[in-house]
Amino acid sequence: MRQEVASVTANAELMPQVHLMWLESSQIASPAQPGQFVMVRCGEDFEYPLRRPFSIHQQDGSKLALLFNMVGRGTHWLSQCQAGDELDLLGPLGNGFSIHPGSHNLLLVAGGIGIAPLVFLAQQALSQGQAVTLLLGASTAPQLYPEHLLPPEVKLVTATEDGTAGKKGMITDLLPDFTGWADQIFACGPISMYQTMTKQNFVTTKPVQVSLEVRMGCGLGVCYGCTVKTKSGLKQVCQDGPIFDLDDILWEELANGGV
Amino acid sequence: MNLSVQLAPKNKHGLSLANPVMTASGTFGYGTEYSHLFDIQKLGAIVCKGTTLKPREGNPQPRLAETPCGVLNSIGLQNIGIEAVIRDKAPVWAGWRVPVMVNIVGIRVEDYARMAAKLDGVAGISGIEVNIGCPNIKAGGAEFGARPDLAAEVTAAVKAATSLPLLVKLTPNTADIAGVAKAVMRAGADAISLINTPRGIAIDVSRRRPLLGNVTGGLSGPAIKPIALYMVYTVAGAVEVPVVGVGGIATASDAIEFIMAGASAVQIGTASFTNPRAPLDILEGIEQFMKKEGIEDIAELIGAGRR
Repeated sequence: MRQEVASVTANAELMPQVHLMWLESSQIASPAQPGQFVMVRCGEDFEYPLRRPFSIHQQDGSKLALLFNMVGRGTHWLSQCQAGDELDLLGPLGNGFSIHPGSHNLLLVAGGIGIAPLVFLAQQALSQGQAVTLLLGASTAPQLYPEHLLPPEVKLVTATEDGTAGKKGMITDLLPDFTGWADQIFACGPISMYQTMTKQNFVTTKPVQVSLEVRMGCGLGVCYGCTVKTKSGLKQVCQDGPIFDLDDILWEELANGGV
Repeated sequence: MNLSVQLAPKNKHGLSLANPVMTASGTFGYGTEYSHLFDIQKLGAIVCKGTTLKPREGNPQPRLAETPCGVLNSIGLQNIGIEAVIRDKAPVWAGWRVPVMVNIVGIRVEDYARMAAKLDGVAGISGIEVNIGCPNIKAGGAEFGARPDLAAEVTAAVKAATSLPLLVKLTPNTADIAGVAKAVMRAGADAISLINTPRGIAIDVSRRRPLLGNVTGGLSGPAIKPIALYMVYTVAGAVEVPVVGVGGIATASDAIEFIMAGASAVQIGTASFTNPRAPLDILEGIEQFMKKEGIEDIAELIGAGRR
């Protein structure tokens, strides 16, 4: 894990309110693994005291990409950054996804901005000769991640809540059709998506890893701001996660704000 | 150039710091977490995460909310407990050049005394910071620090249980900060650190309820600096023991303000989250300021801004 001043090489709005940013960050990009994240310092001086955590969206040699939703003041500030600007990053942080040695067929499930860490995972899996199917869901067609940015070998299936693209409905509606094929399932999306998945009966038969997002302070396991309760005790999302087994998290408690 | 300060001149062990830059409890873990980002041995002292007699799970999520130039937290003292600190952390600290202090917080007076007794004589522990102002525990915490008599009772109980240097950390959530400071000094505090976090809340407007799981939290970061500086100025004028300034210090200039207000040392807290190197950057900035101003000894700056 390093602290590095990285230069922005590109930053543009990719979907409504969602930006794709590329950074030259050799010390962090090179060792990064899919599912890991960086903490980005936002703003001048100390106006925004907390760094923002972002999954590493793609990695290309000494460069890494972040895909972020403009949800508040920090991400709005980030969206205004231009090529040539410098950003202070901490990373790579967290544990990352774990592809089991015997897995051939990987099923990736993305809800909305949850696509962020899964593109990097798909790239790595394909380079290792594994087959990847991506179930990509969003509320409307314009909010779907563009297909041309995905590796061509990925088998893509989409769903939108309003039916403007792909199948109409939630992405989890499509899961039962693909779980038989999959050796492992990797998901990233809102907590409500994970709660739905826990109620689908394949969970007991196929291993599912999910990426968890909670408010973070330090990113280093120091502040205990991101503690969640799991079946194996209290965990820090920043250090013990952000990737967890789906059935390890006590979802009802988390959804209700409980630790 | 002499940057060293003595925080416990009347204690038999003393508490000599190579420089006045410390880390604030709860923002620097047990020191080890930051050791691969910069040379933490260059710091004046490290204060570890607030520690209780038994391990604690802490408060419900969400535990953090950012506010303009500030952070509200309601961690609720999640920690590994005093036994694990002594067993797992102290042996690591014993090999360090930088002194480490253990921040202790109790629900009852006897909790403080028992923890102090356990820490006495443990290699790797240079002192105790007595936290009488954590605003997150309904059963204890703020009540001790809010009243001079209760604050003195805790301090005296700790003093009787250990010979280690004692830094007593005050809460701003009191009507009489100078009165509390004098009371803990008379009860045996070797030095006084302040401030802990002022209490605050945030409302989630979309869900129409308090944003933090615990409803209330403690505010930290640059937003509280003028309040902390005022209280340090007030207490430094009221007591005859060293004062340690903490609250919103993010730059060397901030630290120098606290030193000029009368602080012998400073603690860096939330700024470490923004920039993990902040404590070292602040130390280097103090050195540069002294060089520029032709100051040979940090003692020349302590209280230099008072009138």
